[in-house]
Amino acid sequence: MITGVIAAQALHLPHVNYTTIMPELILLGGMLVLLLVSALFKKALPRDFYATSVVGVGVASLIASLVLYHDVASHGPFTAIAHSIDIDGFSVLFLTLVSCIMIVYPFFAHAYLQREGLDGVEFFALPLISGAGAMFMASANDLILIFLGLEILSLPLYVMAGMDQRREASGEAAMKYFIMGAFSSAIFLYGMALTYGATGSLNLAEISAFLAKNYIFGNGVLLAGMGLLLIGFLFKIAAVPFHYWSPDVYQGSPTIATGFMAAIAKAGAFAAMIRVFMATFPTLASDWQPLLWVIVVLTTLFGAVVALVQKDVKRMLAYSSINQAGFILLGLQADTSKGIGASLYYVFIYSFLILGTFAVVAIAGARGDAIHDIDDLRGYAKSHPFLATSLAIFLVAQAGAPFTTGFLAKLQVVTAAIDAHSYALAVIAMISAAIATGFYLRIVYVMFGDGTDTRVSVPAEKEVYSVSPLGQLGVSPWLFTGIVLCLSVTILFGFWPQPLVDFATHAKLLFV
Amino acid sequence: MSIAPSWYLTLAAMLFSIGVIGLLIRRNVLVMLMCVELMLNAANLTFVTYSRALNDISGQAAVFFVLVVAAAEVVVGLGIIVAIFRRKTGATADDVHLLKD
Amino acid sequence: MGSLNSYLPIFLLAVLAVAFAALSLVASKLLAPKRPTVAKEEPYECGIVPTYEPPRRFPVRFYLVAMIFVIFDVEVIFLFPFAVIYNQLGRFGLVEIIVFALAVFFSFIYLIANGALDWGPVKATKPNIGDGAMRTTRGTVRRYGSKDNKAA
Repeated sequence: MITGVIAAQALHLPHVNYTTIMPELILLGGMLVLLLVSALFKKALPRDFYATSVVGVGVASLIASLVLYHDVASHGPFTAIAHSIDIDGFSVLFLTLVSCIMIVYPFFAHAYLQREGLDGVEFFALPLISGAGAMFMASANDLILIFLGLEILSLPLYVMAGMDQRREASGEAAMKYFIMGAFSSAIFLYGMALTYGATGSLNLAEISAFLAKNYIFGNGVLLAGMGLLLIGFLFKIAAVPFHYWSPDVYQGSPTIATGFMAAIAKAGAFAAMIRVFMATFPTLASDWQPLLWVIVVLTTLFGAVVALVQKDVKRMLAYSSINQAGFILLGLQADTSKGIGASLYYVFIYSFLILGTFAVVAIAGARGDAIHDIDDLRGYAKSHPFLATSLAIFLVAQAGAPFTTGFLAKLQVVTAAIDAHSYALAVIAMISAAIATGFYLRIVYVMFGDGTDTRVSVPAEKEVYSVSPLGQLGVSPWLFTGIVLCLSVTILFGFWPQPLVDFATHAKLLFV
Repeated sequence: MSIAPSWYLTLAAMLFSIGVIGLLIRRNVLVMLMCVELMLNAANLTFVTYSRALNDISGQAAVFFVLVVAAAEVVVGLGIIVAIFRRKTGATADDVHLLKD
Repeated sequence: MGSLNSYLPIFLLAVLAVAFAALSLVASKLLAPKRPTVAKEEPYECGIVPTYEPPRRFPVRFYLVAMIFVIFDVEVIFLFPFAVIYNQLGRFGLVEIIVFALAVFFSFIYLIANGALDWGPVKATKPNIGDGAMRTTRGTVRRYGSKDNKAA
């Protein structure tokens, strides 16, 4: 039957414009080269080499993204490769963000591997695949491509969650993440199939055009399809009824992988989610908006309240990231271009915050990556002033303190909600933010309060890093650079937010 | 001879539900993995049915990709499961319970 | 619906098979005498009553090879449609499929380099034991206890 259909039509080859997927190609190509190089050399290559290569690959993909940004700025948005790729301000923003994550991540991975005394290409090759998946999700104009991007994003993350084979918790996290991830992918796929049946296309623009032309009221298949797609996305971003895997996964995974997955999975999933719901289902907004309303309320409040009673830092940060996901959803729920701009800004700055936070937590976890009680951070400011101060800045920025990027992010999403007349929602979100401030400040208080650092490995740590002049700070040059990068994004754009805000608000979707 | 597409769609919906329920109530990780496969294949059946009914090839193209993704997922999943349970006696999800509130 | 007739034999066969199986099960349940005693319920006739099933050794290597096979098996999914319209695709199709095959091949090289296809005695992997928090009695015992399983 396949051959029959093909024979009936003349074969029409699409024009493939490779520059539109150049950032993805660079990441994947870089990954393949790294794997090949690691395989061809008998001796294990130094991690400096891998980390430098990944930074280089990240910079290359950043340049490719900026080239696309220039194209969009001068010629306007366009679709490419048989209309399956959208290059608009929106996708370019995410391409840039993912490239930046790829640049920052290797610094932390290097520091973590050095502390653990591990070598190997895996911690550097897997994130590159993940990053390419997130990029595909952001620029996809086709449900198949979104699904493929979702899988390319997720599969390496499952493996990264289980990379620390010395801790059983890591394997457990990988298994939970995998089962829940596969479950949500299957739900997403079935939603895709139903949407395809109801609208006759998998292309987002065609679906949107179909829905605009045909007034559909109460079509069960379409609504079920949309609902299942929504559930699939909500699983990925860990919004509340679908969040229960995330604290276990965040706690069990190697801390550096936790930070990466928190940043990249949110970026990819939110990118695809915003495009699907804003650009494809705008005519069904009256159906999905109330759903999102409930989910935002649950997500923000639940995340904030449960985080209050956590004893483990990583677990607390997991709930805190649930709370933050609620805020990002708040912008989407508003269903306005202002709301989208606010959400994009939020995702952008949050990626750097969470990467930096988990990097410091990873280093504070001491060798073995096992000391993560909040009480273990007692006296951390005395033993590691630089790291403690950085962590404090990242945390208060997440709480939304002024003069950090977090403040404007929270302000913008809440304003967007108020502009959309969701006053109750704005109030609830603000209450959750106030609660959240409590647990962020608790960590800061513990670190800077009385007490001495009792962790066993403090001398060992100094030993590891003593080769560098920064050793006295308890950091390696790589870690120092990475943290300074994240800090500068947080503080620089906190004082001077306009460029980033413009970038986010001009990131218009092609089909709205 | 032709059977109405709705039969296939119903079958797919039933398979999908069996997969969901199986994943939620079974505790053997391998069985859970098979349930995920069942769900994916239910989606495949839906794709193919709609593709035929709409006379549109893209649904069948989607199935190709889903098959590949399903295979990759199985490989990664089995890899993780083997890595964990090499040191344990059986593949039961309840054995894995270090992480909880 | 007349054309459904051709499916009738298959349908009948299915019904017969299910009916036979169901009948056998029900019959054995109804007719067989049941007189359970404590000794009969035990899994083994003598020795200490086991509290759990002993761990079975299974060669993990088979899984590895099977998984690698699956990947290559699936590669064919894309080769097949390519082969069907190979002529019409021309050079574009050839280049694309070569790039695709290379990507899979590179990962295969990585697998070989990491010893995925090495048979025979397992190379002793570097015992990567962290110090500090990891060196608990429990952890050490577990590590040494699991050595046999690893070598299997």
